[in-house]
Amino acid sequence: MFKRQWGKIILKLESFETEVLDQLFDQMIALVEVEQMPYEDPLERLVGISGPIAKPTDPALARLFPDGYHDDSEAAADFRRYTEHDLRNNKAMKARIAQACLHQWPGKRELSADQANAWLLSLNDMRLALGTRLNVTEEGTERDAENEPGFELYDWLTYLQGTLIDSLQR
Amino acid sequence: MSIAPIELTESDTRTDRPWITLVWNDPINLMSYVTYVFQEYFGYDKNKAELLMLDVHEKGRAVVSSGSREEMERDVQAMHGYGLWATMQKDDQ
Repeated sequence: MFKRQWGKIILKLESFETEVLDQLFDQMIALVEVEQMPYEDPLERLVGISGPIAKPTDPALARLFPDGYHDDSEAAADFRRYTEHDLRNNKAMKARIAQACLHQWPGKRELSADQANAWLLSLNDMRLALGTRLNVTEEGTERDAENEPGFELYDWLTYLQGTLIDSLQR
Repeated sequence: MSIAPIELTESDTRTDRPWITLVWNDPINLMSYVTYVFQEYFGYDKNKAELLMLDVHEKGRAVVSSGSREEMERDVQAMHGYGLWATMQKDDQ
């Protein structure tokens, strides 16, 4: 959990929690990181503006990278072409910054403002990805034996993020 | 719970600010997180950020900023960076 002590944000984890988070960061990075995509147009390669134009088919990715326009598919495609790669790289970078904290020293860690921000965003990305996979809805989702482990993880990430928001606001 | 809709201030609705950024309700983002993002990114005070968050939650969406198309593209991209579900459109009011 996160705590605020003497004006500093402290992250305190059990070793098994560290291991779970370490794996989740690996999965997040693999999920969002931009694959090397072949550029079709040499000019686009030169100015680096070539990105995807279609919404990802994976629902978790579609939630992490939604359309920027609600009712204009052409503008949405254009917006995605210019922004999705940056957003993906940024999410992977935040995950790496947060993940690196896990390896600093065992038990209790003091976080800088940048590290706390990376944790806040990465925990949210994890909850969005996992929550989408679990079909979390406003009405709540039926939990069964099959999805229970996923929900336990989701609830724990929610708790962690909650303690971080509390610590940031005090 | 019922709350009044957020009224845009005069400076938000000038004709030279014809584009708006909308944030849509979603079942995963924490209310405290959404409020935090509105404070952090837009610099809104806690009261305004909370009212906007409640508007998103109760009404399904809320206008969180307005301005030029380029400014709104920046805001929408930033919201997506935070994991909020945001879109932009021309203000049809």
